[in-house]
Amino acid sequence: MSSDIILQVNNLNVWYEDFHAVKGITVGYPEKSISAIIGPSGCGKSTFLRCLNRIYEEVPGAKATGEIILEGKNILDKSVDPVELRRRIGMVFQKPNPFPAMSILDNVTIGLRLQGIKDKSYLMNIAEQCLRKAALWDEVKDKLHKLGTSLSGGQQQRLCIARALAVNPPVLLMDEPTSALDPIASAKIEDLMSELKKEFTVIVVTHNMQQAARIADYTSFFVLGDLIEHGLSSDIFTNPKQQKTEDYITGRFG
Amino acid sequence: MVRDIENIQHSFSTENDGNISKKQTFLTYGEQDKFAYYLLKLVASLVIILLLGMIAMLLNSSLSAIEEFGIGFALNDNWNPVEDEFGALAFLFGTLVTSALAILIAAPLSISVAVFINEILPTKLGKLISLFVEMIAAIPSIVFGLWGIFFLGPFVKDVLTPFLKSNFGFLPLFQGASFGIGILTASIILAIMITPTITSICREVLKTVPKIQKEAALALGATRFEMIKIALIKPSFSGLTGGVVLGLGRALGETMAVAMVIGNSPTITASLFSPAATMASVIANEYAEADSDLHLSAMCYIGLLLFLVTFIVNSFARAIVWKKQRKARG
Amino acid sequence: MTYLHWRKFKNIAFHASLYLAAIIVLLPLFLIVSYVFKMGASSLNLDFFLAFPKPVGEVGGGMRHAITGTLYLVAIASIISIPTGLLCGIYLSEFGKGKVANLLKFSIDMLTGVPSIIIGIFAYILIVVPLKGFSAMAGGVALSIIILPIVCRSTEEILKLIPQHIREAGLALGLPRWRVILNIVVKGNLSSLITGVMLAISRAAGETAPLLFTSFGNMYLSYRIDEPMASLPVQIYNYAISPFDDWRRQAWAGAFVLITIVLGINLLSRLLVKIGGLRHLIRRGIK
Repeated sequence: MSSDIILQVNNLNVWYEDFHAVKGITVGYPEKSISAIIGPSGCGKSTFLRCLNRIYEEVPGAKATGEIILEGKNILDKSVDPVELRRRIGMVFQKPNPFPAMSILDNVTIGLRLQGIKDKSYLMNIAEQCLRKAALWDEVKDKLHKLGTSLSGGQQQRLCIARALAVNPPVLLMDEPTSALDPIASAKIEDLMSELKKEFTVIVVTHNMQQAARIADYTSFFVLGDLIEHGLSSDIFTNPKQQKTEDYITGRFG
Repeated sequence: MVRDIENIQHSFSTENDGNISKKQTFLTYGEQDKFAYYLLKLVASLVIILLLGMIAMLLNSSLSAIEEFGIGFALNDNWNPVEDEFGALAFLFGTLVTSALAILIAAPLSISVAVFINEILPTKLGKLISLFVEMIAAIPSIVFGLWGIFFLGPFVKDVLTPFLKSNFGFLPLFQGASFGIGILTASIILAIMITPTITSICREVLKTVPKIQKEAALALGATRFEMIKIALIKPSFSGLTGGVVLGLGRALGETMAVAMVIGNSPTITASLFSPAATMASVIANEYAEADSDLHLSAMCYIGLLLFLVTFIVNSFARAIVWKKQRKARG
Repeated sequence: MTYLHWRKFKNIAFHASLYLAAIIVLLPLFLIVSYVFKMGASSLNLDFFLAFPKPVGEVGGGMRHAITGTLYLVAIASIISIPTGLLCGIYLSEFGKGKVANLLKFSIDMLTGVPSIIIGIFAYILIVVPLKGFSAMAGGVALSIIILPIVCRSTEEILKLIPQHIREAGLALGLPRWRVILNIVVKGNLSSLITGVMLAISRAAGETAPLLFTSFGNMYLSYRIDEPMASLPVQIYNYAISPFDDWRRQAWAGAFVLITIVLGINLLSRLLVKIGGLRHLIRRGIK
């Protein structure tokens, strides 16, 4: 675990029309670590995550102020191209969402193919690499040309992870990646995340505190758009500084 | 093999140069997206302009008839191209009577079939029956017309007319000679043609009734008939009306099949056996052969009236169905 | 009879009436199709497809010119309307907000309800009057106005079914939006989109009213876009109302061919969506 900060958020505010969803958050994410964001539903944790790759712009009327520094640049700045940004910050969604009518192989390589890479053997190699990293290769290597949507839910989610990895982003955002999966499939994804942090910085939103405690190096606790506490998971879960955090993790509120 | 992969990963990593600023290429991604957006918007605007332009041109073409005959056009039943005298009342009458009669026949049948498919039949059989019903909509109008001339017309003349005359001959509706072509035949054809439209809208409307409501009625000890009456038809009544009105919209504008079986005589009579003409059928019959400008303009005027009538009827229907479905969604 | 018996009786009578209604509604379909097949099959011969019309009074001849004409007119309509309709549908589903989108929705709704004969008048005013004569172009334009709203609406409805998070997943990969729309949203639903287009084409192939005074009709083979052009429906119409037995025979043969083409395309396109739908079902079952 290195402690170089790869992504630094300074005083981030988000509004949906008049609703103040994220309130002045400042937090830094160290390279090659897993950071979890926990909190009761509606606390702005997903909104916060969606700012980090500017996908929040998809919601009409959403507005963000503040700074999110990646590689010395504020990504909220107008000069930053969200398309280029998203190649550096990948995302995995709550529901497994392989692209319809597309084979497993095509799903993994589409990000690169649409960037103009045509070399088949190169694409094939990247696909194998990413599917291996997503711990899916052995299960799908004989049916790469089957539809991505023909896989099971857990496999689909790992396919989506492989798809995100193929673009080779140093940072990977995950928005409740296991909430639509059964416990066994969830456990596989958790194992996978622990593997991924050797190469990537993972920021994961989860509603499952045990999950955060198991896999995350750092944990942030959000309530109603405020960051209540941020620190090493071991501290947050065993020795929280704030009363609210303690109440939440002991199940007294939330 | 493993080393190969590592090498590729290396080259691949360096390719992603990590610069997240907008690239100074021909077009940045944002500009590409803007270009695509404006292209789509342009096509959309062209379609809108074309449509508005067409309506304006229709209005423009009707102008000389509007100036000549004014609003009275719709109340005058004299249509005499030879003398350049034009009134649309007979056609309005033909259109309204045939459409109304068609609705009278088609509405109860269509709603029944919609209930039948949605509520009574098992899903698979229901799908098959609804496929058949939709096939009716796919048959070209000209084929209906051909069948109407050679099959339905003689049937109306030889079977239906004697039956109606002997049973209901005292009504002015069923008096006079029948040649097989006329209002009744046209209405039956129209009824067949609009059934699929009404059925499919009604099925959509009925689908929006929550299952719990139906089950609640059954749990109270209602028979299936009572359940359908109380929990299905009553709450969706306005939506079903919308479906019927949409069918009316189709019937008003139907051209070929009607033109082939209605006899095309601009007369107003009480008898359903006598020939008549509709707004659409007169345009189909006379437009290509019209030689005076006023004649053409008068037909554009009829077209304009027909356009307005169908537009109002369709908007009304859509408003009802739309409101209904929005309510159902909560 | 007790009240309960009366209720049960009403229930049975109700069921019986529903069955009866279904029979009444479906009867005409079978009557029409079987009658057309009976009359058409006996009237059809190879000459119908290969020969041109004979002069009035002579027996024989065919509708090669009209079959060609219909293909030609449908092709013109498709070239104009399929791209336009697809683009409008994509615009509505992907950017369906704002003034232009609302106006377009309104226009498309209105176009859907406009009687086809009035679309004939539109094309007449738009093309026939300026060109000073009936032409294949005018017929093609009329048909294109008829199928434009069909293509646009089916496209919009199909693409709206795609969940928003699929689009976001594409954007999150660092793809520009037009790539996401084209390569993921549109390409992923190609089979359904093709179905919508095919249904529209089958509709255009059977239309008569808007052709009567646009492409008009002729009795010989023509490939010229600026001259009148025969079409199967108009030819059937002209022959059906003629007093000659042999022409009526050919009208039946024409109806047979037309109904086969139209119902054929219609069923084929439904089959296509069923294959697509099957996939969808599998996908859903697993989720």
